[in-house]
Amino acid sequence: MILTEDYLQDLLDKTLPQVRTGDWAVVLEGSIAEGFGNPGSDIDFLLIGRTKDDLPTMPSLFFVDGRRVEIRTRSVHQLAEQFAALKTGAKRVGRIPEDLLNRCQRLLHSYPLRGHALVEEAKGMLPVERFRDIAAAWWAHCARQSLRHALAMQCLGESEEAVDWARSGLVQVVKSWAAGQGETYLEPKWLSMQLDRADRPDISDRYWQLESAAAEVAADDYLAACLAFAADLGVTGVRRTPERLTVERQPGVTTWQAAERVHVIRGRRDVFALGERAGRVWRSLVLGSPLPQVLANARATGTREAGSLLAEFLRLGLVRLAWKGGGTVTPALPLASPPGPITPPPSTAQPLLSLRGAAVTAPDAVDLIPLPAERFGAATLELAFSNMVVENAREDLAGALQRGQWKVAEVAARRAVHSALRGLFCAYGVSPLPSDSDLVRRLSLLPEDTRPIRALADGLTRLTIDSAERAEAVLCELEDFVGVVRQAAGADAFPSSFDSADTWRATLELGYDWVRVAAHFDSQLPLQEIRDLVATSGAQPHQAR
Amino acid sequence: MTEAMTVLITGASGFLGAEVTARLTAAGHSVLALLHSNGGIVRNNGRPLKPKPGTLTPLTGDVTRPGLGLDAERLRMVAGADRIVHCAGITDFGRPEQVYQDVNVTGTENVVALARAHGTPLVHVSTAYVCGERDGAAREGELDVGQRFGNAYEQSKLYAETLVHKAAADGLPVTVVRPSIIAGDRRTGQVRDFKTLYPVVRLITKGRARTIPGNYDALLDLVPVDYVADLIAEAATRFEDARGLTLHAVAGRAVTLRDFSDVLAEYPSFQVARWIPPAVFSAQALPDGERLCHERVISLYASYMRRRIHFDNTNTVAFSRHPVPAGGRPYLRKLLDHSLKVGYLGASTPRGGAAAPAVTPPERSPQP
Repeated sequence: MILTEDYLQDLLDKTLPQVRTGDWAVVLEGSIAEGFGNPGSDIDFLLIGRTKDDLPTMPSLFFVDGRRVEIRTRSVHQLAEQFAALKTGAKRVGRIPEDLLNRCQRLLHSYPLRGHALVEEAKGMLPVERFRDIAAAWWAHCARQSLRHALAMQCLGESEEAVDWARSGLVQVVKSWAAGQGETYLEPKWLSMQLDRADRPDISDRYWQLESAAAEVAADDYLAACLAFAADLGVTGVRRTPERLTVERQPGVTTWQAAERVHVIRGRRDVFALGERAGRVWRSLVLGSPLPQVLANARATGTREAGSLLAEFLRLGLVRLAWKGGGTVTPALPLASPPGPITPPPSTAQPLLSLRGAAVTAPDAVDLIPLPAERFGAATLELAFSNMVVENAREDLAGALQRGQWKVAEVAARRAVHSALRGLFCAYGVSPLPSDSDLVRRLSLLPEDTRPIRALADGLTRLTIDSAERAEAVLCELEDFVGVVRQAAGADAFPSSFDSADTWRATLELGYDWVRVAAHFDSQLPLQEIRDLVATSGAQPHQAR
Repeated sequence: MTEAMTVLITGASGFLGAEVTARLTAAGHSVLALLHSNGGIVRNNGRPLKPKPGTLTPLTGDVTRPGLGLDAERLRMVAGADRIVHCAGITDFGRPEQVYQDVNVTGTENVVALARAHGTPLVHVSTAYVCGERDGAAREGELDVGQRFGNAYEQSKLYAETLVHKAAADGLPVTVVRPSIIAGDRRTGQVRDFKTLYPVVRLITKGRARTIPGNYDALLDLVPVDYVADLIAEAATRFEDARGLTLHAVAGRAVTLRDFSDVLAEYPSFQVARWIPPAVFSAQALPDGERLCHERVISLYASYMRRRIHFDNTNTVAFSRHPVPAGGRPYLRKLLDHSLKVGYLGASTPRGGAAAPAVTPPERSPQP
């Protein structure tokens, strides 16, 4: 140990008065107690009490004699629970939280300073040999996950990532082996000293050679060498058989297509819009299939980047990888960043939405839409609804003008303007919408280039019609207005639905597609009402054919 | 265990009949298996049935003929049966009405005549869809309430069940089991025959049927074949408790079309159909390929996409010791997973590729 007991007792004497009183047994735990450490290392004291109350988990930090001293407290009861949880968890080591393993390890390998009998009692709750086995199995599990993931990445042609995960797996393999030798300290920081103490130069040398060879050897060879090393050190279940890897369903992930656009919704919250090629690869994905088969299917779509896209789907957590007979592959770096899916920055494409789906930035893009799924569903349905109402209102207006019903025509014109504006807001992802009376003012929420629309809308919502001439003029103004809105929102947001029965039917079908998404999310909009309206609007063109 | 019996099973090689036969022979009963052809009995897991020695006697026959087409010697064997389980029937949709009349109605008439002749207790396999086209709760005690029918199959099953009830009124001991839509195994989703709704699911997931008339809240009651077979075997072996009862063999939870849509969306390779209110749907508005597909397959099942029917199973719950299968979305996933695993379902057809639907002509099937 790099510090003497006298020094530690002195430090403890100076620290304890700052801690709540109690009859404590005290141990030094962590790197210094392990025999590692350096002058910069923290001093970690664990105080053990017989109190019936649970003691706080949060550590306290002190600076004593220029050193950072960390104090933790645990009751005997809490320690017993801790060891019991570890023993239970040992049945499925992959589920043991690293913090639990770390806490148990630190106590078992601690250096007693006060209350030796109580310390012995606490340590006696789990034989150190049993702990070695658990720690070795835990690291082997981690290694298996990393190496399987590396195998998957290599299969998908993501060599750099494969090498990095193989390297992580390599550390975990040797940590598993070292744990079996009694070197159970969790943090890999002191691995070199652990291997020195294990005193097996053959293993140590081979490890360091492999560790440093990552940049020099071809990815395929490197992965093979790491897998061979793992097998030699007793880590099973990582043979070089990528066909054992299968692509499986990720709970909460659903696919919704409108026209050609594929949208994938993650966890009922995040919406990803897939570019054309990304969409094709996604659609080729047959759940439960072996990874090489999935890749072959993806390549058969004619997409060169198929492997990269599949890897991206895995990173985003849109599908999961499983190992036949070994469950989900969950690569993780213990004591580092938490495992799990990543989330990219949201897309900046504008306008965001059209009847044919969300905008994408590139054919290979997997763009995160900057709207939560529920609002995405509501906005797209409202956009479809707006389209229908605009057309309906224009028809009403024309009918009213024919019969000289000027006041009826004014209302119809206002309705057409409001609906077009509602659609425009939706195209920019605004949901819920402002009230109709506030729509024109709230155009300020939209980008600068939509400003001219405001002046036109302002005029049209205040119009009066009192003659046939004025009526003709209003019709022209309204056509111009819809044209400008269509330009701002994009033709796909406002297709010319009434140009033919076919275009109208296509608009209706897209409307039903969005009803389907909205139904999935129980969107805020009055679904039944909209479905009824869509149904009513649909009757005429169907009959016309 | 109940005392060993001799049971005549009609349609014993059918999807359901094979599983009932397997259960009764496994329990040590002697089964006289009426088969329409000379083929063997294949279980739902695809393996040939291997009954205990001496428990299975295959009889080639035809329910559409008097005496089930059996010769005198075989008729004597059948006369000694302790039970008759009538599983034979045509379940495919879209067949000529006469076929349903011959197999489902006349077939039942012939089976009932045989049962009457010897006073043999009869377990008759009907369908929950004798309820016809209506919404709300369908009760086990209801039969002819003036309902309209979704297709000729349902109507034939009502006529058949009416014959059975008439015989019961005349003193014949009977039990009626009414399964809903029979699908794969409750634990594995495995299914021997991809029939009934399976072809519909295939056309939808492949994107060949994109626009379908239906209500989001329509209910599809999918029931596992193993549960239905358990219940029928139980009715045969505990007949004294089951006598006079009509038992709905249904799932604990039906799936709505919305469930159906949401679960299909969980599979990247599946297309999800858009449901259009039946009132405004027009097959004429569909593209040519899809219209053909609609006319040949989807339209046969259209009625099931509309009905909001719930099957009350009070009698079954009170009678049976078998737990009612949970059904719902988890069961639907199992069915889809299995169909994917064996390649029945797979990748969808890219949009724009309007391939003609591959519709297999309906086959005669000896199941309810």
